[in-house]
Amino acid sequence: MPSLPIWQFDVPLLILVVLFAMVALSIRNLMGAAIVFGAYSFMMCLIWAGMGAVDVAFTEAAVGAGVSTVFIVSTIYNTGATMPPSPGGLPFKLFIGVVVTLTGVFLLSALPDFPKWGEPNSPANATVAPYYISNTIADAYVPNIVTTVLADYRGFDTLLETTVVFIACIAIYSILRVDEARSKTEDSGPVDAEPHYDPSDSLIVRQASRFMVPFMQLFALYVIAHGHYSPGGGFQGGVILGASLILVAISFDLKFLLSQWREKQIMLMVAWGVFLYAAVGLGCVFMGGNYLDYGFLNPVLPGELDMARSHGILLVEIGVGITVMFSMIGIHINLASNGHFDRGL
Amino acid sequence: MENLIANFNYVIVVILMMIGLWSMLAQNNLIKKCIGMAIFQTGIILFFISIGAKDNALIPILTEAGDHIYHDPDVAKVANPLTQILMLTAIVVGVATLGVGLALAQKIYREYSSFDEDEILNKQAK
Amino acid sequence: MEILAGILISTGLIFFLGTTIGLLRFPDFYSRMHAAGKGDTLSTVVILLGCICLISTQGGLSWVLGLKILLIINFIFIGSPTATHAMMDAGNKAGAKPWKKVAE
Repeated sequence: MPSLPIWQFDVPLLILVVLFAMVALSIRNLMGAAIVFGAYSFMMCLIWAGMGAVDVAFTEAAVGAGVSTVFIVSTIYNTGATMPPSPGGLPFKLFIGVVVTLTGVFLLSALPDFPKWGEPNSPANATVAPYYISNTIADAYVPNIVTTVLADYRGFDTLLETTVVFIACIAIYSILRVDEARSKTEDSGPVDAEPHYDPSDSLIVRQASRFMVPFMQLFALYVIAHGHYSPGGGFQGGVILGASLILVAISFDLKFLLSQWREKQIMLMVAWGVFLYAAVGLGCVFMGGNYLDYGFLNPVLPGELDMARSHGILLVEIGVGITVMFSMIGIHINLASNGHFDRGL
Repeated sequence: MENLIANFNYVIVVILMMIGLWSMLAQNNLIKKCIGMAIFQTGIILFFISIGAKDNALIPILTEAGDHIYHDPDVAKVANPLTQILMLTAIVVGVATLGVGLALAQKIYREYSSFDEDEILNKQAK
Repeated sequence: MEILAGILISTGLIFFLGTTIGLLRFPDFYSRMHAAGKGDTLSTVVILLGCICLISTQGGLSWVLGLKILLIINFIFIGSPTATHAMMDAGNKAGAKPWKKVAE
């Protein structure tokens, strides 16, 4: 297998990335800016994969290039303001340009002090990372070092990050949700068999998404469960699951999605993911260890005697996946319908 | 000059950060400011991943060598996983922040019917 | 096998070049979407077939990986033309008019 990084591949991509960033910010049509931003995210994902960060590239492809672009397009489409008025205020922009250039030159003046790129003994690579690389099999039997460090060695960070996603979903609800529309959506009961979508919309898109959504969800569950042995894990799988529901919302109608997953259920499941993560930690305390110290769950979890840390990581990733999935769909519904929950993208 | 070529990644990182910073300060449109914030964040993530890259290194997923015995990894040949994990967190928090920023922009649009900063300030001054 | 993979990937890249030229040079929204949709899907499928030929030289359980790439080809073959159709439908509803040759 060839080894990374490959400079012939990296240098043109880096130059392209700067070009895409400049184009995304100078296009006047906001929809075009959103799409170029999606292309920029894909280029960044390729650069990171070229440097050996496959988990990060996977997350960026799912989150940055997929879901972020959908969020921006939903926001712009719903308001109908796709073209900004002609810009003014040139002296102010020149002043900001000078300030930004000076900041950039100041930051670049630290360049001679950096360690050479790719050096294995640089301070970032030599402090605690060798312990993680050498001991992940002995401690947790998980070949994916990134998953072990994410959910086991640095489990507190991941717990609080999941809480941040949860808080973002709640914040968007509280910013955008409009009260008088709530009584309209709670009335659709579970036996509502009538389709809510406009039949004049395209049949092809509906049928294609009806075919693809189950496979997307199956793949997302595979990504969560196989995160121990391949790039993947809770975040990527959760985002793909959320994206499958966003596909249902876009190709059918928003009301159709809301008749399947009601608002109260979405909010409850967002909280359940964080609760599962925190409960695993509490379970470790009940068994006599520290918070989130999975080794103490050995008597409770099935399997061989030493696999408790691996199973603990899996449980925690499931919690993360649940929260991220329902956060993504909750944010999309709010942004796409401007809080009214009736029409959508 | 050799520094510039050897550290080309860091030069690009600084350029991206400055593009994002300029957009957040000088662009009038609220959505462009949010996109600039996202560009700034991805620039920072590129910086951290560049720090963790190693010459001739493999990805941080160990492979098995016969009968489920994972080979003893040569630390200098495995890309640094620590910076990658910090950046995984950063990406997800970045999309959450982008969502909140877009929600705020949409709420402002609901009140003032415009995404343009100058128009909003004019309407507020009245 | 590797020569076949090289031929397939080069063919895919040539089709991509044709797609890009068509995207830039066609006079009309619908013909540009025509070029983008068909050329994009075909070149991606051909490049992925080249990747299948490459990994079959690795041995071991690489037939599982080949099966996964076949599934990717399947979903791209379904999803990409549907996306092109959705864009053309949206362009039609937004009122884009087909290009007519001006009678000289």
